[in-house]
Amino acid sequence: MQTLNREFRTGLHGVAAVLAGCVIFWIIVSSSGVHNSLVDAVNAVLYYPELPSLELRNIIKLSSNWVLERASLQDRVSQLEVNNQSMKAELQRAGIPVPVQRASYLTARITLRYPEEWWRELRIDRGRKDGVREGSAVVSEGYLIGRVTRLGDNYSWVELITSSTFLIAAAVDETRDLGVVNGDDKGNLKLLYVPEDRRLRNGMKISTSLMSEQVPPGIAIGTIIGADSAKEGFLPMRVQAGAHITQLYNVEVYTASGAKTEWR
Amino acid sequence: MAIILIALWFIQDFLQVMLMGFCLVPDLFLVAAIFMAIVHDEQDDRHIALIWGAFFAGLVWDLRWTNLPGLTAAVNGLSIAAAWLFWHKSPAQGRSTLLFAFTLEAAQLFSGVVHSFFWTAPGGVAIRQFMVQQLIGVPVLVIASFLFWKGFDRNV
Repeated sequence: MQTLNREFRTGLHGVAAVLAGCVIFWIIVSSSGVHNSLVDAVNAVLYYPELPSLELRNIIKLSSNWVLERASLQDRVSQLEVNNQSMKAELQRAGIPVPVQRASYLTARITLRYPEEWWRELRIDRGRKDGVREGSAVVSEGYLIGRVTRLGDNYSWVELITSSTFLIAAAVDETRDLGVVNGDDKGNLKLLYVPEDRRLRNGMKISTSLMSEQVPPGIAIGTIIGADSAKEGFLPMRVQAGAHITQLYNVEVYTASGAKTEWR
Repeated sequence: MAIILIALWFIQDFLQVMLMGFCLVPDLFLVAAIFMAIVHDEQDDRHIALIWGAFFAGLVWDLRWTNLPGLTAAVNGLSIAAAWLFWHKSPAQGRSTLLFAFTLEAAQLFSGVVHSFFWTAPGGVAIRQFMVQQLIGVPVLVIASFLFWKGFDRNV
């Protein structure tokens, strides 16, 4: 009888644990403010104990990538220098002043990416103290991957371009047609609100359009890879992201520290 | 007992930080909690305390790693209760190292499947993550089974 009671009680506690888990899930998820506060509190408590592991991880990752990435990055830097010089020469010839940008990119490490929110958001180890602002553009290898949505002193949450709630003004580089890039929570991107009479072709490049101080124009987003069926006079275009969004380890955050652009 | 479990939780957390983006670490904490629940003195109710201890540890894990608060907590609580019931329903003569390993593997598999069900990661990535997690879990299972065999297998 006593054994039966023990077994019954054990089963009861197991079922109670499941019910308690469901109730906690329901309470926390139905109040996103509480959820975010709890997540941030747990992450703040674990930040310092986890720091050695994070450093070790980055040393291993950087060591393994150094040899592989060095050659391709050198090629890219050389190519960009050539492009930059030729553009400066053209600007000088045309008598257009060269803008002095008081902005820079801040390298940040990814400290969290939930499997359940894979296409929606991630967390980085730079925050308010580092000069990151809400809305700052986040790029990887020169391609836009998202925008900062929530800030802490030492961390930020980045909404990815593949999120269904992400909307950003974008332009087709070749034709200067404007549209809005939007994700679908499944890794796909679309360029919306392009009139269906525009003749956009596969392979055309998409980049950010002038939107805010925190998202400068001209950041590459991706390439047009097809079109969906037209709706209400608009033709949604399928876009392939330029960044490898499934393989992100380090990213760069755009920081417009000087606020305004000066001209010389 | 509590100190060992807390230490294992942190080890699992540190390993997950190091391996973030590469793979998911096996559930060391759950394996240890089931181990302790199974091998303890049959007359006390330590396993009940373990169910709720693992529940709390799972809740903290959820807030750190899964974004589904309560999922790991519920899985931990249910796994320990189910493992304990399975073990104590089995005839005493059959409670061998092999059955112990099977119990742990079933719990690991259950935990992995439940979590992967909620992933939005692309199919190929999710399957690879799940497989790697289960494969890395094999040495953990072997070590736990070895410890059980040395210390608690009454059929030896």
